[in-house]
Amino acid sequence: MTAEQKKEEQPEFIQFRYPREVPYEHALGYQSKFANALKQGRIIATKCPVCGRCTIPPRIVCPFHHVKQTEWVDQGQRGRLISAFKINFPMFNSRTGELQNWENPIIAVELEGGARMDGWCAETDPSKLKTGMLLEAVWRPEEERQGRADDILHWKPVEE
Amino acid sequence: MAERIAIVGVGQTHHKSKRPDVTTAEMIAESVERCLEDAGLQMKDVDHLVGGSFEVADGYHCPDKWIIPELGAVGKAGLELQNVGTTGGVLAVASFNIAATGLFDTVLCYSWQKMDEAAGAFGRGGGGANEYWTGQFPMSPITNFARRTYAYMDRSGCTEEHIAMVRVKQDQCALKNPYAQLRLGLTVEQVMSDVLLAWPIRRLHMCPTTAGAAAFIVCPEERAKKVTDKPVWVEDWFTCHQGGALTMAEDPTSSTLRHACEVVYKRQNIKNPVKEIQAWEVYEPASPAELRWMEEVGICEDYTAWKLFEQDKVGIDKEVPFNPSGGVTATNPIGATPVVRLVEAALQVRGDAGEHQIPGKIERALATGYGGQGENVIMLLRKTL
Ligand SMILES: [Zn+2]
Repeated sequence: MTAEQKKEEQPEFIQFRYPREVPYEHALGYQSKFANALKQGRIIATKCPVCGRCTIPPRIVCPFHHVKQTEWVDQGQRGRLISAFKINFPMFNSRTGELQNWENPIIAVELEGGARMDGWCAETDPSKLKTGMLLEAVWRPEEERQGRADDILHWKPVEE
Repeated sequence: MAERIAIVGVGQTHHKSKRPDVTTAEMIAESVERCLEDAGLQMKDVDHLVGGSFEVADGYHCPDKWIIPELGAVGKAGLELQNVGTTGGVLAVASFNIAATGLFDTVLCYSWQKMDEAAGAFGRGGGGANEYWTGQFPMSPITNFARRTYAYMDRSGCTEEHIAMVRVKQDQCALKNPYAQLRLGLTVEQVMSDVLLAWPIRRLHMCPTTAGAAAFIVCPEERAKKVTDKPVWVEDWFTCHQGGALTMAEDPTSSTLRHACEVVYKRQNIKNPVKEIQAWEVYEPASPAELRWMEEVGICEDYTAWKLFEQDKVGIDKEVPFNPSGGVTATNPIGATPVVRLVEAALQVRGDAGEHQIPGKIERALATGYGGQGENVIMLLRKTL
């Protein structure tokens, strides 16, 4: 077989395009209590009767002790910075379903009530973020809240 | 009483960024045929298959109904499993469990990912420890490792230059592995000036998107000894998921790797892992992850692994032979990635790794799978029983 013949027999490889969109509607179940509190501008967490850990998102049982967590504890409106990162490329916004740039760093906060939660920081310069700095929740207007993480628009540094 | 089990054959594709020339099934078949050839077996000898990928990123639903016939294995017992990043790990563990029952003689594990077919599936983030909560944040492996690395650098004294040194070491290993995807000839300066994704993570620090497949065959002892004179014994295995709940909530740099290793080391009476394990293939989705994982598997004290790179102690023929294949930053067909680790570890134990073979006798090798927010699967291999 000559090289030319071989080239002729080579098929054109085709890629078959298959676009599909699947909108999901997941039940929140017991987490609805937490989501409803967010709509009211409150952050609440479940607490383990054995180890005292407060968890966000809430859990029916403590992941470590397998005991039912019936107590809900108000976590206040302030917390301290644990970790932060800033994204330099577009990523999906789950509220809009669109790709977007993220100006605000994503942070983890330890709340006054002891639970830890993720959020966005009002300070957009990551070099100004220091572990342990005090932050306060800034909420969306009540009519826009949906029981979502971004009901808290961002966490604003507080002077101490 | 469980059977002792051994890996009798391994195979993988030459990993690429794109494979428009083959279907997913054809690509898997390449690794399976290489595996059968390596074992000196035929498909008729196989009596159980276990396969899978990160399904959402494939777009194929219940693919084994299509793939098993395409492999020429129709009618055989088969299971399909998936667990995102650790998919290959759970496939391997399921295969070990099945072989250890003694109910099946020859278990073929096949794994794959064709990331060139669903690039969009990887930018969506979501998932994580709780779909409702973490799914709302623009999270991805990139941001996961940005957060981890920020905290690691904050605590350890490790700098961006050290992370770049890790990436260069990974590349130097990959250059010796003909199956690796990225073989770039990098310098520290090149890595440090690459595109910033999420500080301190640059593009070159992250695992690439890969089209590739990997397979192995595992048998109970009696059968294994008949099939090969170079069986690689599977000494122990353990899955430890729930990383978000178990460790990350308390320490953003940690994973379940430490806990998983402690369980396995205790069961096998391993007191000094750096002496008793001679080869490591530990799933690092990003260059800096290698540092923390070296600490969690017990190679060095917490927050000191970067010093080993500063002292040039990590490499194929150096004091710490960590990820001699080039690791996951060179090659990442996600669903298959932990099986690639296992295949590479088995080759090291056999002495068949070629140019990236670690010098000296490899009595033990440890391979892992990593996923999500710190999930791990441990696979410990041994040369002698
Ligand atoms: Zn508890």
